Formats: sequence, C-alpha cells, structure tokens
Amino acid sequence: MTGTGRSSERGSWLVVVVAWALVGIPLAWGVYRTLQTAVKLFR
Amino acid sequence: MPGLLSKERISAPPGFNRWLVPPAALAIHLSIGMAYGLSVFWLPLSHAIGITAAAPDDWKVSTLGWTFSLGIVFLGLSAAVFGRWVEREGPRKAGVVAACCWGGGFLVAAAGVRLHSIWLLYLGLGIIGGCGLGLGYISPVSTLIKWFPDRRGMATGMAIMGFGGGAMIGSPLANLLMNHFKTATSVGVQETFVTLGLIYFGAMLAGAFGYRLPPPGWKPADWTPPLAKTMITSRQVHVGQAWRTPQFWLLWTVLCMNVSAGIGVINMASPMLQEVFGGRLIGAAGTLQDLTGAQKTEVATIGAGFAALLSLFNIGGRFCWASLSDYLGRQRTYVLFFALGIALYALAPHAGRLGSAPLFVGIFCAILTMYGGGFATIPAYLADMFGTQHVGAIHGRLLTAWSTAGVLGPVLVNYIREYEIGRGVPAAGAYSTTMYILAGLLVIGFVANALVRPVSERVFMTDDQLAEERRLAHEAGSRP
Repeated sequence: MTGTGRSSERGSWLVVVVAWALVGIPLAWGVYRTLQTAVKLFR
Repeated sequence: MPGLLSKERISAPPGFNRWLVPPAALAIHLSIGMAYGLSVFWLPLSHAIGITAAAPDDWKVSTLGWTFSLGIVFLGLSAAVFGRWVEREGPRKAGVVAACCWGGGFLVAAAGVRLHSIWLLYLGLGIIGGCGLGLGYISPVSTLIKWFPDRRGMATGMAIMGFGGGAMIGSPLANLLMNHFKTATSVGVQETFVTLGLIYFGAMLAGAFGYRLPPPGWKPADWTPPLAKTMITSRQVHVGQAWRTPQFWLLWTVLCMNVSAGIGVINMASPMLQEVFGGRLIGAAGTLQDLTGAQKTEVATIGAGFAALLSLFNIGGRFCWASLSDYLGRQRTYVLFFALGIALYALAPHAGRLGSAPLFVGIFCAILTMYGGGFATIPAYLADMFGTQHVGAIHGRLLTAWSTAGVLGPVLVNYIREYEIGRGVPAAGAYSTTMYILAGLLVIGFVANALVRPVSERVFMTDDQLAEERRLAHEAGSRP
C-alpha cells in the first residue's frame, strides 16, 4: 500500500471516530442519566 | 443529473468505510426513539392552562396518552404502505422525508399546544410524526444488511438499539428544556416542542445525508460467504410475493407475540414490584396500602429506578441478542427467546411469593433483553428468508405486527387485571394470571417460529425479474 493510501485510510477511520462520537456521546449521556435513576433501586 | 436525494447520488465511492453507515442510521433511530419518551410531556400538558394545577379545560393524561398509540399505529401503517417506495427511492430520500415528518410533527404539536387543540397534537405527533417514525425506522435496514452481509444481525441491532435508546436522551433533554422555558404563564412545552423539532430535524437530516449504498452484491474483502445454508437464501423474493407466503405470517406472529408479551410486562413491571413487595422494598412491614405517604413516595422512587434499569436491559438486548444471532442462527435465537421467556414469565410470580426482590428484578431484566432482541433480530431473519433486495419493504409490512401488539399487550394486561380484581383477588396476586397468559402468548410464538421453513423455490424472482427490479430501483451496475 502506498503512503497516500495509508493516509487516506487513516483519514477514513478518523471520520468514522468522529461520526461515532457524534452519536455515542449523547447516547452515553442518556445511559448515564438512566443509570442515575436505576441506582435508586439498589440503595 | 440525478437529484440530491436520488439513489444515484449516494453510491459509495471505492474504499468507502462501511462503519460510517451505522452512525448515520443511529442518528435517525436515536431521534425517532423519543417516541417512547413522549410521556414526559403529559403531566405538564395536563395543566397547560391552569399552570400550577389542572384547570377544567385542561387535557387529561389519558387523552394525551392516545398520541403515543396513534404514533405507533401510524408507524406500522406508513412502514407497510411506503416500504416499497423506500426501497425504490433509497434511504436518503426516505430519511429526509422522515426528518420532515418527525421534526415537522413537533412543530405542528407546538401549534396544538399554543391553540390548545388536542386534534393538532394528535395530527402532529400521532399522524405526521408517526409516518416519520415508520419511514425513519425502515430507512436504514436494507442498506445496513447490504453493507454487513457477514454480520446482518449486529448491523441492524445497532440501529434498532438506537430506537430503544432515543428516550434516554430525549426525556432528560425535554425536562431540561421545559425547566428552562417555563414561566409564570407557561409550562414550557410549546417552546420545548419547537426546540426538539429543530434538533431532531437537523440530526435526522445529517443521518440521511450520511447514508451510502454499496454496489450490488458487495462483500467485505476478507469475507467468504459460507456455503449455502438451508435457512439463509442467496436469492430474492419480491415484497408483493413475500407477504403471501406462510413464512411471512409465521414471522408476523413471532414478532406480534414477542412484542405483545413484552409490552405487557413493561406496563406492569414497576407497579408489580411495588405492589408485590410493598414495604419490604424499604425495610418496612406491610403492603403498599399500609404505608405512609412518605414511604409510598420512597417505594415509587424505587419503582422508577426499576423502570430505568429495564430500559437499559431493553437496549442492551437489542445489540447483544441481534449480534449473537449471527452465530446461533435466527431461528435458534427465537427458540431461546420463547423457551427462556416462557420459563421466566411463569417463574416471576413465584419470585414474588418467595419474597426475593433480586430474583424478581433479574427475571424482568432478562425478559426485557429478549423483548428488545426480538425487535432487533427480525430484519436479519427476514433477509435470511427472503433475500436482501426487498428486505426493507418486507420489514415495513411486518411492522404491522408491532402496531397490533401495541394494542393487544396493554389491553390484555389491563382487562385481565380488572377482571381478577373484580373477582376479589388481591392487587398483588392479580398479576400472576396475567404473567401466565403472557407466557401463553410466547407459546404461540414458539410454535410459529418452529414452523418456519425455507421459502418455496417458486416464490423467488427469476434473473430477468431481478434485473428489471434493480433497474426500477435505479441501482448502480444494474444494467444488463
């Protein structure tokens, strides 16, 4: 694989990480808020 | 030149990373998943005129609750009616229309709050929003299955997990917004609807524009399709033919029974915990009725924690079970859902009688994983049986099972409970019969799943029919 190919592959994975962060961060916040409610069951 | 929303514009370029498609699907499913969180608005809306307390002209919570039911009915209807259009026009156009319907539905509902018209609320979030739910729900299914032929279950499981998780983001966000917008003369719902409508419109538009289609027959470079398996076809069945097969109706029954039983359990899990265990939940003696107001509030808080825990297991099950089905096979996965489900539904009343809250909670958490798993695994089951060409449209028609279950599950639970209490059965004991009847629904589902066999050779499309179908669907590389 050429250097250009490697850098384009790296770039493509960077976009993947950003795309997943855009949906993953709000989802993680939602799960965290739900867990805060759920722990009341175990107190 | 093809239009901005056309299929031709979203053919993936060489080297496109397929892992970009699931976040696009998640952006749409996390947005429409707020349908499950709409109940967060009902209490504030029930005193939208009186502000501090309900005024005579204020809506009742039960009247407002119909918005959700309407939304689920229109989800099923729109997915069934427009599934074929979604396949033909592609996921981007479907996603954009879904964004307009769901985002626009919130704006119409905001007008309904401003004019105090329940019909505008029903129209906005129930009918227009419901169509957005249906189109948004099925928009990524076929695309994901085509990008992940090696992990069909996992791919659709990720998207459908988003639908389960949408309310986890939307409900707290809605509460924050309502607190921000509320004044001495407003409960803040109208402004919250407008804000959420714009947020969801933007997020869904971003998702729709993130979709890319693989070339026909695409497969990962390092993956060799397994040798022909009897329950996984490599051929294609037309949607118009699929719904006439016994396999379609068996899978319809499988989904309907699994969801009816699951919705029934979701409706009664938290009140059942509170009524069965009563004071024991907080270390006090006596039933729920014997407790003081403060103790009842404490028990209700624990009930809310239980409901939250169940929602986590619901979304976890969507991803985990659907991914596991790639290894176990779809039919075996549903055998597990139904066999384990029957045992757990029947065991739950005994856990209550034994007084074991951890066992009771564990049983319900396991049940909820299988409820979510049932939703998430069905698209891959359909792709295995009928091929990938029309799987989105076939899935759309199958979702009428969900609409049916949305009515059947709660009606069964409520009527059985009323009947039992009318016969003089104590409130805590009235749940046992309901659980046994829900287990009976799973027996029907088990039998339907066991009867599923590969579809007959005569229903598959011929090569010429498939080529014509691909031409009509504007698929790149489809010309002879």
